[in-house]
Amino acid sequence: MTTAKIDTNEVLVDCQSVWKIFGKSAPAAMNAVVQQGLTKTQILQDYSCVVGVSDVSLQVRRGEIFCIMGLSGSGKSTLIRLLNKLITPSSGKVFVKGKDLSALSPAQLREVRARHIGMVFQSVALLPNRTVLENTAFGLEVQGVGKAERYKVAERALAKVGLTDWASRYPSELSGGMQQRVGLARALTADPEVILMDEPFSALDPLIRRQLQDEFRQLTKELGKSAVFITHDLEEAIRIGDRIAIMKDGVIIQVGTAEDIVLNPADDYVAEFVAGISRLHLVKAHSVMTPAASFQAANPDVDLSRLTKTTAGADINELIGLTMNSERDALAVVDNDVVVGVITLRDLLRGVQGIPNELAASPSATVLEPTT
Amino acid sequence: MNTPDFSEPFDAAIDSGLEWLSENGEFVFDTLNTGLSGIYKAVLWCIAFPPYYVIALIIGLIGWRVIGSRFAILAGLALGLCALIGLWPETVSTLALVITATVLALVVAIPLGVLAGLAPAFDRVVDPCLDLVQTMPPYIYLLPAIALLGYGPATALLATFIVAVPPALRLTSLGIRMTPREFIELGDASGVTGWQMFFKIRLPFAMPSIMAGVNQSLMMAFGMVVIAGIVGSGGLGESIYGAVRTLDIAKSINAAIAIVILTMILDRLAQAAARSRVGEGQ
Repeated sequence: MTTAKIDTNEVLVDCQSVWKIFGKSAPAAMNAVVQQGLTKTQILQDYSCVVGVSDVSLQVRRGEIFCIMGLSGSGKSTLIRLLNKLITPSSGKVFVKGKDLSALSPAQLREVRARHIGMVFQSVALLPNRTVLENTAFGLEVQGVGKAERYKVAERALAKVGLTDWASRYPSELSGGMQQRVGLARALTADPEVILMDEPFSALDPLIRRQLQDEFRQLTKELGKSAVFITHDLEEAIRIGDRIAIMKDGVIIQVGTAEDIVLNPADDYVAEFVAGISRLHLVKAHSVMTPAASFQAANPDVDLSRLTKTTAGADINELIGLTMNSERDALAVVDNDVVVGVITLRDLLRGVQGIPNELAASPSATVLEPTT
Repeated sequence: MNTPDFSEPFDAAIDSGLEWLSENGEFVFDTLNTGLSGIYKAVLWCIAFPPYYVIALIIGLIGWRVIGSRFAILAGLALGLCALIGLWPETVSTLALVITATVLALVVAIPLGVLAGLAPAFDRVVDPCLDLVQTMPPYIYLLPAIALLGYGPATALLATFIVAVPPALRLTSLGIRMTPREFIELGDASGVTGWQMFFKIRLPFAMPSIMAGVNQSLMMAFGMVVIAGIVGSGGLGESIYGAVRTLDIAKSINAAIAIVILTMILDRLAQAAARSRVGEGQ
């Protein structure tokens, strides 16, 4: 599994080899899994139980947007409900801010849900008999916050999602996109550190969806919130997520940044998913560049200092633009004023295909005629 | 025919059981009788005390508030008609019976319905009992009632009460059970307590169903109050029963008109009240 390239500070949600088995004899099935290591199919045959989530471990850090991508039936909706114990795991532990959810009393669990871990649903679930403002203030109302105070906070949250003018309307008067904004505002009102997003934008049309994706990411980053975002759409996961987990049949088969997953898919299943994704904004210079030393070895007569400079974090789209404007067919990747690599045309093409630069296998930059 | 060998002692047992009950439970049933007729008389006094045009005006005003001016005028005129055909006292006492029986039934049915909606085990016990009550012909309830409480409005109230409980109970329980799953999840994920889940989420969603149950109970009570004319309920039911016995067709039609007027007015008012509650959010 590839390592994440984000700063590893405080872990807010920690999921440790969590299982969820559905069915009447789920405890017996769980025992059989632990003791005999039965497979999903065997469990279905012998115990007529369905394995929803199978041995999942993941950590969500402060400020991080963690996407879980999977098709329907992959267990992603079950998994997100394990994180706030809407569903109780058959085995394994979930820690939220260091607290083991299974060890909490009902009152403590309510406290954690009310203050630390919010949730936004695909169906939005706005109470039809309440105004937008009353819906937004619901979390605080439940906590017993006074009317004036909770409406003040709710109005601020509505302002953040651009719905100030709609506060006194009823949910049925709002469009789908607006309703989902209210759902987000409601989750933000309680000011939790982590927001669980259960396919919130799946039911919206593409244009509104993209707009909300960008707004959501911006807002979450601005407020410094963490989010677990469930989606069946890899492009959405890539747009929004700092890290992405790919889930299939209840198992997480790969976790990593979008670039990791596109460049090094863990198996054929992931590779197939990734195949249709445009690499232009995903693949960065550092993944495809030819190291400066090996480039110099192959082309001793090229003066690296005369190449157009770029950074290790520049994406393929940027690199193509730079190359087009450059007089030369190569770019120098500079890190701390040192040329660490060279982007050749061949590297660019590889980047478009999404193949990382594996030095050994590559014949490496042979043809390059600098136009000096 | 061998069956009588069994049915005779069975019938005898029932009879003696009822006899024993009425002898030994005399105090209980006397109290029940006094209580029921007391409530009925209090309600009746409130409606019968003002002259008919005041009541017609009040109902007209309520109708104007919850439905509209056309309904208000029609309702007022129709009630005036009841008085003109000389059936005002009967109309008033029927109204008092229906209101008393329905309110008593709702006081019992709605809390039990909530309980049945929340506790499936309780629902499994209540459900067959309701089936029993609802499949029996309604006048069956007059017999034990008359045996234990005697002839009079208390008997009519008890029998009407029994018939009016099931619809409200059933629909309340259904409404409470039908809360959409995503809203239960919303409540749980927001950290609601059990009470908050009930009052802020389950009850608002159950309201349309509960109000439909109230309306149904009201209509059942109406039907029963007329039948209860047989046991001396007083009111329009007794007028019709008397007219049937003496084949007085004209009188029976007059009473029937008054019943239809009363039923329609109460039904429309109850429906409109239900709609206005539900419709707040629309």
